Amino acid sequence: MSERTEVLSALEDIFDDVFMDADVSFSDSLSSDDIEEWDSLAQIRLLTTIEKHFSIQFEIEQIDQLKSVSSLVDAILAKMA
Amino acid sequence: MQNRDWLPPVADDFKTICKQITEGSADRASLARVLHTQLDVNQCTRLMKAVCSDAGASVIACGFAQVKLGIVSNSTQDLLVAPLFIAGLRRGVWLNICLADFDQAWQESQSVNSKLCQFGPDFILINQDYRGYPFANGGVSQAKSDVRSSLDFITQVADGFLANAGVPCIVQNLALPPANLLGNFDIRHHTALSATILAFNQQLAERLSDSPHYLLDVFSEAAHLGGTQWFDQRSWLSSRIALSEEGTLFYCERVAALVGAIKGKSRKCLVLDLDNTLWGGVIGDDGLYGIAIQPGTPRGEAHLRLQQLALELKQAGIILAVCSKNDEKNALEAFQVHPDMLLKETDIAVFVANWQDKPTNLQFIATTLNIGIDALVFVDDNPAEREIVRTMLPDVAVPEMGRDPSTYADILMRANYFESLSQTEDDLNRADQYRANAARSKLQNNATDMQEYLRSLEMVARVEPFLSSNIVRVTQLVNKTNQFNLTTKRYTQDQIERMAANVDMLTLSVRLADRFGDNGLVSVVICHKQPMQWEIDSWLMSCRVIKRDLEHWICDYLVEHAITSGINQIIARYLPTEKNVLVENLLPELGFCWDEQLQVWSLDTRHYQFHRPPISKLEAS
Repeated sequence: MSERTEVLSALEDIFDDVFMDADVSFSDSLSSDDIEEWDSLAQIRLLTTIEKHFSIQFEIEQIDQLKSVSSLVDAILAKMA
Repeated sequence: MQNRDWLPPVADDFKTICKQITEGSADRASLARVLHTQLDVNQCTRLMKAVCSDAGASVIACGFAQVKLGIVSNSTQDLLVAPLFIAGLRRGVWLNICLADFDQAWQESQSVNSKLCQFGPDFILINQDYRGYPFANGGVSQAKSDVRSSLDFITQVADGFLANAGVPCIVQNLALPPANLLGNFDIRHHTALSATILAFNQQLAERLSDSPHYLLDVFSEAAHLGGTQWFDQRSWLSSRIALSEEGTLFYCERVAALVGAIKGKSRKCLVLDLDNTLWGGVIGDDGLYGIAIQPGTPRGEAHLRLQQLALELKQAGIILAVCSKNDEKNALEAFQVHPDMLLKETDIAVFVANWQDKPTNLQFIATTLNIGIDALVFVDDNPAEREIVRTMLPDVAVPEMGRDPSTYADILMRANYFESLSQTEDDLNRADQYRANAARSKLQNNATDMQEYLRSLEMVARVEPFLSSNIVRVTQLVNKTNQFNLTTKRYTQDQIERMAANVDMLTLSVRLADRFGDNGLVSVVICHKQPMQWEIDSWLMSCRVIKRDLEHWICDYLVEHAITSGINQIIARYLPTEKNVLVENLLPELGFCWDEQLQVWSLDTRHYQFHRPPISKLEAS
């Protein structure tokens, strides 16, 4: 499994924890436009959960930037590099 | 990251149980299994949704005190709702939470028509962060009058709710920000933020002392976790969320404990295990002066610290009880004569040392004291004992205790089971009154449930002859086991080695593992093989695994082995000592009959009733 797929699969679990009832299927192309519940508070919860899982720390400006699965994966991989 | 270490980790089947709760197919016991674990904010949210679903609520809601809690705050509180609800359930309170809009404390408190006053709350939580007061943002010259005006503001808000909603408020004091402006200078200078906050906290406590309002001590809770972990600057700056996730979880525990105390849900009685909890070692095996309790020794100091805490709790009105698997005489002797024991016999309201299962004993303690089972806190170093109590008595509070006794006292204090609203003369004498009233009564057996518990342990036993790999442990066990020991014969390692090599001897060493881990080599059997019969020379077992039916399993094993070797008779002796009362009835219980002629216990393998306890056999590798 490539690193990207591993991160994606972990993200899928995290999305299930954060957006448990949201009626969307997880994919690489998902963004905050697709999930109604993905508001600014959910964003904090999402990033905190990701940070805990991967033991990384995002910067404050990333809160507004990381609003899609693909940008999250890129950012996680960059942080882990 | 700091954990709420009195709670066990989240169960693997957490999501499955949430699903069962939603479907209405889970009971209170399975709720308890997931509730009292280290749930994070996401997991709290999932569990809250499940519990509040139609099916979940209809099964589970009864038995909780219903409390409507309104919250005003100068920070974003949406992430607090789920963890606060869950923390409430842990304290026996079902919270119905209503959040006011952001930073509306004043407006909400001043009108009967406000959102919170209309909500019909039982309490209002005034959750103001230091950043909601003028001194956090104003110039230094204003500080002194700012403290006064801030206190005026907060008491007017609280009294406004009292007038307009007709209920008291929970007012929180302030945590120190995680850094100083000018270092050591701050604390000396009354205009600096940290000095201002300390002054505010002190005066707030004074102002509230004669009011109907409650003080929530956020200051100390934040200090326990540490300011740098309590606050989350990034969440504050981006979303006006004041606390980190961990800070939020600790905060919610504090609020829930206070609300629980107001509703009479605080615990009343601390039940303590003895061996390796109140002292180091096993008194039945190590002897009265072999237990680790000496001041000046690391292990002794660690156990003494727990005794010291228990004593302080008793002085504050908490009832103390003992629940231990021991001979009562051995156990009591330590309290009566050991000079290093801080706790004395008279400190303990109910003293239960026997070989019954602990849930039965805990029930007996609650009945004797005439308090609810949900008033008990049970402290035991043994994870299997904690698990059986959690399973069979989900209302008893059972804190996790790690491997290190130096942490026991702090874990117990952090769990905050004994939240108290006031201290009266009565409170201080309560422990002694309970002791005076406590009367002993016989314990009831709970055999069916015990079987279920034993099955759930998923025990696996492995038998080996004495081998070079286990001879040191076998020798140790043979020479130190006093209680479960039929003949108490002691052998040197050299003698043991010769038995191992002797073809006319049968030697068994038994290891037992369960789902909590490996208990190691716990039992030893030595038999003389004669042409027509086998004779048990020694049989002993570690106290750690008593009441697991392992003795039945070993007996089954032995008989099976005898039958395949064409042996019809096994004979055995019980040689009583001061300490092995535990096994005085073992042989007849296993199916041995007294042979008057030979003056021995004898078992006919052809008519033996196999016990078949729920222990599976692992073949020696």
